[in-house]
Amino acid sequence: MSSRREFLQMGVAALALPISAHAALSPASSILDGETTATPLYKVVFDERFSASRAFAEEAERLGLSIHGIKGDMTDLWYHDLHARWKEGPVAIAGLTAHGPIFCLERLAWDQRMRVVFRADHRYRADGSIEHALSGPSILLRRAAALGDEINWSSEMASLVTRCPAMRSQTSQSNVIGPAVKHADDPEHLISWVIAPIHRA
Amino acid sequence: MKVPPGVSPADFSEAIKRFEDAVGKDWVFTSDEDVALYRDPYSPFLGEPEELLASAAVAPDGVEQVQAVVRIANEYKIPIYPVSTGKNLGYGGSAPVFSGSVVLDLKRMNRILEVNEESAYALVEPGVSYFDLYRYIQEKGLKLWVDVPDPGWGSPVGNALDRGGGYLMAQYRNHFDSHCGMEVVLANGEIIRTGMGAMPGAKTWQEYKSGFGPWVDGIFSQSNFGVVTKMGFWLMPEPEAYLSGTVMLSRHADLIPMVKILNYLENTRVTNGMPDLGSPLLQIPMIAEIDVFNRGDGPPPPDAELAGLLAKSDAGYSPELEQYALKKGISYWSCKLSFYGAQKANEANWEFAKERFSTIPGAKFVEGESYKLPLTPEQREKVHKPQFGIPSLTMFSIGARSPVNPTPTNDHMWFSPIIPRTGEAIIEANRVFNEAAKEFGIPALAFSLPSCYWERAFIFIFAFPVTRDVETNKKNRAAFKKLVQRAAEHGWGEYRTAPAYQDTIMNTYGYNNHSLLRFHETLKDAVDPNGILSAGRYGIWPKHLRKSNA
Repeated sequence: MSSRREFLQMGVAALALPISAHAALSPASSILDGETTATPLYKVVFDERFSASRAFAEEAERLGLSIHGIKGDMTDLWYHDLHARWKEGPVAIAGLTAHGPIFCLERLAWDQRMRVVFRADHRYRADGSIEHALSGPSILLRRAAALGDEINWSSEMASLVTRCPAMRSQTSQSNVIGPAVKHADDPEHLISWVIAPIHRA
Repeated sequence: MKVPPGVSPADFSEAIKRFEDAVGKDWVFTSDEDVALYRDPYSPFLGEPEELLASAAVAPDGVEQVQAVVRIANEYKIPIYPVSTGKNLGYGGSAPVFSGSVVLDLKRMNRILEVNEESAYALVEPGVSYFDLYRYIQEKGLKLWVDVPDPGWGSPVGNALDRGGGYLMAQYRNHFDSHCGMEVVLANGEIIRTGMGAMPGAKTWQEYKSGFGPWVDGIFSQSNFGVVTKMGFWLMPEPEAYLSGTVMLSRHADLIPMVKILNYLENTRVTNGMPDLGSPLLQIPMIAEIDVFNRGDGPPPPDAELAGLLAKSDAGYSPELEQYALKKGISYWSCKLSFYGAQKANEANWEFAKERFSTIPGAKFVEGESYKLPLTPEQREKVHKPQFGIPSLTMFSIGARSPVNPTPTNDHMWFSPIIPRTGEAIIEANRVFNEAAKEFGIPALAFSLPSCYWERAFIFIFAFPVTRDVETNKKNRAAFKKLVQRAAEHGWGEYRTAPAYQDTIMNTYGYNNHSLLRFHETLKDAVDPNGILSAGRYGIWPKHLRKSNA
């Protein structure tokens, strides 16, 4: 038990239930896996404090996507960008962040009829490797197998999220362990994600 | 598809079809993936069969659709659970109290119906968020502030009905108290308007609260007697200036006169912002300092001597600890005062406050922030935004990682007892809760200071962890309930709680054989005989479910 102010120092949303894992895993298949029109991404969110996240953003930008840096706090991203943009209509976003931003964005997105359609939890392991726990469209997860050989995993993730299918497709989950170089500024746990409009069956 | 308890699958399917006819097929959610989004991410029952879950959700777009939904629910006896935006995490989120209820999600009702700058009020629907209202005011250039909670992602209606609080002047900080006028859909589908709103064509619905006859607004907060579809709020006119100053006191016993003087100053409106208590010696930051601490810009950690003294202290006190503080010139207590108003008046009020606190030997004063309002963009970046009526999500970034928080930990539920606004009560509550923590096998609590959201009472807000371990959660739930009981034995009751504890806490409000609860139940039976609205919310169960929950 801790007081509210102590608690605020400890962290608010650190391990809160990732409902996206459940949402993304509902089996549904309205198109074949071969049809892979990608979800157009309005913006790619990254955390300027983390090397892996910066590498993710660099690759996303190289791929022609618009990027938005935060430093943990996503209030400005919300107020000055997404809040107004999503009022006009739902548009997909992706990111590589710590838990807090995706925790908030997932709930805010639901108010606009969007949800997390792809999520990958990246956890550094004691042996120097990194585990990627993925859930989302099966076709994307098959491509994620490459993470097993890819030391620049966050750049690979940027490439991966740009290929998230626009339409509902079969979903699954998988775990991939790959090589990694953990930079001092990277936390133990990061999350890649895609939030996209709902296509209901 | 999950079916509400006591409802046949055939009836439920038919009701769902009727809901779809009423609000549109796109706005009735029955798939697992959709309904999962209404789970409480901080549920203390995570991974257990007792987790409170919705069966479906319906999102109406207007009051007529709400009327249609409640009429259908009545016809099929479907339990429904209205939420505005469902973001009161730590107090339940959007998950229903009665598992299997259909969530009545009011997020689409997000119209700002009126903002009156001259009379400083707003009339909004339940799906309007603090960010929505703030943006509206900013875009229109109105000189008005919204009192926001922290975090500010919820809705004024939902927060007020849950009796949440904020950070501005006292008359706005209590969000239910600062409302003025409601529109409510009753369980039978009838609409009522409260206060002056009951008069057709009334000119002062958002300006005069009580109207004529019994003032019923209170029964629609923390309850289940109706669905609030419109609510008026008094907004704070933007003041000319803001000033803060901090009183620093050197001895443990100074806490008692400090609170007495603070109460006088606040109750006479000499200081009108939310007071903020801290303890430099006990390493308790003031609320406004927490962002600074988390950036790693706070004071250095205690040296070995202080750490040892703190560990040996009894509820934050020992003569040796006090001597250490005096020797090192570290203040035992701090109290930050905030002043909103004309710059000259703020300065005069601060001077008067200093005079009063100077009666405590050794009192020192630290001049704080002084801003001409509105804030410049640079100033906005430095301040604790809710103290300036700016909604923020910064709190959620703290969980990510920070210099003082390298390994963030748990979800939480709040234990929030109200105690008297005295220094003696602070000391006693710390002693009682510390002893209880040891007795109940939960981590001991460092000395804590309460918050000053309300003018006439303190509120302690303790975070109880919710973990991924079922056994730990069971143990914590049991400890939570014992703590509620222990608090009640000392006359301290909780102001708000998560669904898991609403029965337990309501049970502590048991004067005269629970006559208040029995009155609630009488009302419930009268206005919602089928018990369709928010069964069990705040311990009020409809007749057909009452025995099983006694």
